Amino acid sequence: MKFGLFYELSVPRPWTRESERTVYNNALEQVKLADELGFDQVWAVEHHFLEEYSHCPAPELFLTACAMLTKRIRVGFGIVVCVPQFNHPIKIAERTAVLDILSGGRLEVGTGRSATWTELAGFNASPDITKKSWDEFVRCLPKMWTSETYSYQGEFWSMPERTILPKVYQRPHPPMWVAVTSPGTELDAADRGLGSLGLTFGQFAEQEKRIAEYRRRIQLCEPVGEFVNDQVSTVNFLYCHETDAAGLATGRRMADVFNYLASQLISAREAYPSKSYPSLGLLPQLRRQATGPDANEQAGEGLALGGPERVMRALKKWEAVGVDRVNFLLNANEVIPQADVLASLRLFAREVMPAFQDAKGPANGAGGGQ
Amino acid sequence: MPTFGLLDAGAVEARLPLMPHWDTEAWELPRAEILQLAWEVPPATQALLPRAMHPAIPSYATIVVTRYPESPVGPFLLAQLRLMGRAGAHPRGYVLAAVATTPGAVTALRERWGLPAELGGVALRRHHDRVMATVTRDGAPVLEAALVNPEPISGGDVQYIHSVTFARVMEDGRPVPSLVQVDPHYVFHNAERGRPHVDRFDPVGWSAEPLRLVFPMAATVTTCDTDLPRIRFVMHPETPVVRGTRRIR
Repeated sequence: MKFGLFYELSVPRPWTRESERTVYNNALEQVKLADELGFDQVWAVEHHFLEEYSHCPAPELFLTACAMLTKRIRVGFGIVVCVPQFNHPIKIAERTAVLDILSGGRLEVGTGRSATWTELAGFNASPDITKKSWDEFVRCLPKMWTSETYSYQGEFWSMPERTILPKVYQRPHPPMWVAVTSPGTELDAADRGLGSLGLTFGQFAEQEKRIAEYRRRIQLCEPVGEFVNDQVSTVNFLYCHETDAAGLATGRRMADVFNYLASQLISAREAYPSKSYPSLGLLPQLRRQATGPDANEQAGEGLALGGPERVMRALKKWEAVGVDRVNFLLNANEVIPQADVLASLRLFAREVMPAFQDAKGPANGAGGGQ
Repeated sequence: MPTFGLLDAGAVEARLPLMPHWDTEAWELPRAEILQLAWEVPPATQALLPRAMHPAIPSYATIVVTRYPESPVGPFLLAQLRLMGRAGAHPRGYVLAAVATTPGAVTALRERWGLPAELGGVALRRHHDRVMATVTRDGAPVLEAALVNPEPISGGDVQYIHSVTFARVMEDGRPVPSLVQVDPHYVFHNAERGRPHVDRFDPVGWSAEPLRLVFPMAATVTTCDTDLPRIRFVMHPETPVVRGTRRIR
């Protein structure tokens, strides 16, 4: 099992001239330390207009800064929104190739389609078509990276023959992932030979079932890229402290704040009934965890909060249900002081990571990226 | 943390519905036809939302026009204007104004669920390419709007957000301003989705200045069995609901 960091870059009110800069600088300091401690990857989301929850609309810029500050940690662009009003596919191919070059071949590419009305309407994108445009984009992207010249005629975009430059540094190309929140999306990932980039928290039993189905299905996939990425990644909170009590208290405060902010978002389905968004995805679960009667029980399951032994036990369970990588949220709305976040990272690296074979192994791309 | 509503509760208290008690009996409401139209609205509408609630990001409003062919007070139509927000972590529609078509319905809705219902005219008409709603107050039109180009969808794709009303409720012999959660159930028989279109919306007639219908979101029309249930949760209007919520039953 490998460990990484996952950034939404939430910025608490009141917003001052310095508040966003402070959040970005804190994150960069955390990434630099994580690289030194042997963490394997850092992911950053693409979100727009999501007040406080995420001030991260240009993850490739943040990740470029990460790459310049580090030597070995892999940089995960994830997810890039594969909807034409957000990102033209040529620009995706170009920007990811530049980041792969600048990072020396450390890029991972997560794909997705946005799940909030706030963002989709902001770009005047119809929720009805996002799954189709995502499907079209992920089939084009590897060919745009690897073909000497490329042309395309599709439903959502077209181009005459051109040489798309530059080419990615990794051969054959960076590993590709799909953001998985709604049940069933992991099967879309499996069918296309893409890694499952889980963005839900907790609940071993449900995750175990979904991972098993993903593993079964991906064996018969038709990969959209030149290799199959059969890795399963999930996201978790991390706050590791010498004592369970202090670790849990602080960690729960972070998780509660994150869940509360997430619950303020307008899901696509809340605003616009569509079969394209058959479930509410991550949000109902977070609402339950934020305020529901089962908050104490469910929110604690599988979260990497507490003392080293407790954190280790939670992660061993994730390993047992088939998770290959865990990406950690380290803070939310800066509720944990930066010094404590860094101390948590150091303690985790010292006391927990050694219990996981290969946790500090060489940073290679999942399933084939070199 | 998220921002809160800015409503001065004292400024509206005198015109709030008066509920004699919390012991409201549920109404079964079969074969209701519900037209819901949603628009984004200006952020300045935060001034209309109770301080206990968070505004939606972005701010949006729904107009809900319902034909109830059967009810304990007989058939009636009801039109509601709701400003959408969050009660803690939960999406809720705060009822700014409501118009019902019979005196019996007006009285019952005000006394039992705290709906700010006034007597007026409400019509719901189906044409081949649209479902139209008109609402009048004191004989003057305050709404002419429609769902345009309906297409069948699954009822399972429709998510109706529960309502919150603002009422004075008699407790220990005195009226106590309270937010009331109204959370009906729905069993869908059919559902259609289309585009919301508005020809006339009078914010003054809805007691909803400075609300404007700015950016169309979606419109649905459904037929369903629904209810107006017993009241379960009430909230203090000035305290964030995570601290100010009380379970009645």
